[in-house]
Amino acid sequence: MDAALVSAAAVRPPPGRSLAPPARGGSLQRSGDAVLRRAPETLHPDLWLGHQLGRSAAPAIATGFARLDAELVGGGWPRGALSELLLAHPGVGELRLLAPALVATQRAGRLVMLFDPPAALAAAALAALGFVVDELLVVETRLHGQGAPVPTSFAALRGGRLDRRSGGDGLWALEQALKSGHVGAIVAWLPPRLRAEPLRRLQLAAHRHDGAAFVIREPAAAARPTAAPLRVSLHPGGGDRLQLRIVKRRGPPLESPLELELPSVLSAAARRRAAGAARQRRLPAATFVAVA
Amino acid sequence: MLWVALHLPLLSLESFAATLAGTATGDGIALVDERCIAAADAAALALGVKPGLKRATALALAPRIVLGQADATRDAEAVRAVVHVALAFTPSVSLQPAIEPGRAADTVLLEVQSCLRYFGGIARLLERLHASVEPIGHALRVATAATAQGAAVLARLESPPLCATLEATRRALVAAPVWLLGPGRAHWEALQGMGLRRVGDLLGLPRAGLARRFGEVLLAELDAAFGRRADPREPIVPQRMFETRLELFARADSSEQVLVGAQVLLARLVAWLAAQHAFVQRFRILMHHETRWQQGDRTPQATALEVALAEPSRDSAHLLVLLRERLAQLQLPAPTLELALQASDIVKRAAPNGELFATRQSEDEGIVRLVERLQARLGAGRVQRLCASEDHRPERASALRDAAVRPARAPRGARREAVVADAAPRSCARPVWLQRPAPLAERDARPLLDGRALALLSGPERVESGWWDGDLAERDYFIAEADDGALVWIYRARLPLSSSGESGWFLHGRFG
Repeated sequence: MDAALVSAAAVRPPPGRSLAPPARGGSLQRSGDAVLRRAPETLHPDLWLGHQLGRSAAPAIATGFARLDAELVGGGWPRGALSELLLAHPGVGELRLLAPALVATQRAGRLVMLFDPPAALAAAALAALGFVVDELLVVETRLHGQGAPVPTSFAALRGGRLDRRSGGDGLWALEQALKSGHVGAIVAWLPPRLRAEPLRRLQLAAHRHDGAAFVIREPAAAARPTAAPLRVSLHPGGGDRLQLRIVKRRGPPLESPLELELPSVLSAAARRRAAGAARQRRLPAATFVAVA
Repeated sequence: MLWVALHLPLLSLESFAATLAGTATGDGIALVDERCIAAADAAALALGVKPGLKRATALALAPRIVLGQADATRDAEAVRAVVHVALAFTPSVSLQPAIEPGRAADTVLLEVQSCLRYFGGIARLLERLHASVEPIGHALRVATAATAQGAAVLARLESPPLCATLEATRRALVAAPVWLLGPGRAHWEALQGMGLRRVGDLLGLPRAGLARRFGEVLLAELDAAFGRRADPREPIVPQRMFETRLELFARADSSEQVLVGAQVLLARLVAWLAAQHAFVQRFRILMHHETRWQQGDRTPQATALEVALAEPSRDSAHLLVLLRERLAQLQLPAPTLELALQASDIVKRAAPNGELFATRQSEDEGIVRLVERLQARLGAGRVQRLCASEDHRPERASALRDAAVRPARAPRGARREAVVADAAPRSCARPVWLQRPAPLAERDARPLLDGRALALLSGPERVESGWWDGDLAERDYFIAEADDGALVWIYRARLPLSSSGESGWFLHGRFG
């Protein structure tokens, strides 16, 4: 029996002899053998082998980047589940990464909601990315005012600037939006050092949501397990590029980071200068010590 | 004519229980009438407390029993809710006065012959009636008969019959006990002494003698019940504005207790709205405080909480959720003794069709309700929409407005065209994230961010604007790359030249 499972395709029992012990019904035995000889991933869509990429029941939302689509389960961002993005600081290119999926949601006539964006949004930039700016809903649950400096690390959001009550209210608002099932896509910036239990509640609430749900957290969260089925870590790649590491997905972990070309904000000359600056940065400083 | 009678046998007990507003009752509830128990609920009856016992005996049997007084006005308010529920079924609804004088009417009569076909038969109509009265929470006895008085009499039986024709009504009445008639109860001993137990026994007696002994009222009731006499009933017209009160038995210290009382009032509001085929746009809850707590002018006499809805609604669950969130944020200055609910802003509309699959309209309504819930809990100004304005200064080019002001949605065709025209995202030298300009240090004429030099990639883009409102901005914008590779948007202020040693470089945004 075990031998049949391990090498299903390769080994065929010699004709007239079966590996299984003789049983009562002849036809039942034959069909049982046939089932065991098939690869496990063909038995049920929720089964996959460790080296394969998993499958999703619902069609995924295209990310807009072909190389990223190829590495994600279902060919895009998952529906009805949280996708975690880990950033060191806002401004690495996360909105340009999410823009194709969110713009497609808006074009389909659904609502896109943003929860607790870390700084003020510029309507002109969003319009250039393709958003219909009037139709975005922004929910602010923290108490510090807009226009505060974009924090260089998410740790700056802690401390006296947050109301003690706002943490619970923010998660409640997010859960209500996920559970309602009427929102098309949600992007939420979560407070730092969130415990596993509220995150699991959000993931359960996301089952009733039929679009994409992105939660953005600090990189230190990578050390703790998450209930979200997809976890991606973003780093700026110089110029208009984004370095993306898929930390967790339903499938094997990605060994090397992906380099994606984001919609550019730089002109061609500026891009050349950026490449030059990157080369300069990568060389160690000792190389430039003049030897007189 | 087919009349349906809804008799509320426990009306006084239930309206008293509503005032308790969820405070835990120890051994049940009972109503006291002068010194004896008038009525007791199931929990008290199980302990042995029966109507007719003295008050002291009842307290001895059930020490934690809650005793209260019957109140006719309170009962009348409770019956009004049932009347409104009945008005959703038929316009001819009237009240039958109670048998005992001095008590509120406890039987509601509906004339349903004209709407039987619409509801698909008497059985389904009664089913829907039961389902509608359930949220109000009253025990019902339902009887049908061909005459109004006959239905009212038969509804007082323990298991009332459902008679469809006049003959069936007469047969049922003949077998009914005589104390179901008003004068029958008053003269019960005399009738019993004469051996007259059933209404049928009365029919054989000479009418003049009955009238002389027991009054004309008895004959009038008999004739009306048997259909030999015209019995026109004045239909009740619902009031224009809705107002109802509930006096709480124990003072409510927390908003949870107020909420339980408010739930009763909301059920009455929903019943009245159903009778009018209308939806409520705004309602007000008044909480009257205990007078003992008022010290001078500091504590107000009543606190009003107004809840306004973006879309008119009749859903009691949704109204309760909104009320709960608003009450949670309200600080009550003193304990509450009485609650009042007023609703004058109503919209008469046809009910929306129920849908099996989600459509765009139901999704829009769902989003409106979600926004209402979020605003009720977080505050009105927390759910906002982004608006672009025409200004070269980046900090003024976009602003957040409250989501209550909804932009008129263009029809889908027009929007699609406008969007398809900008299919590919344009390259735009504007960052997504903006912040208040933060000054940067400078070294060797290069700006520093967090101690590391920035590499200037693109620029300068000169913005000179705002001389007309005193907020002149003269800036040269550059796109720079920070040490970790992220793009930032910085500017150099041209004028005025700072003299305090600032470099003039400022960080204005990041490219998300």
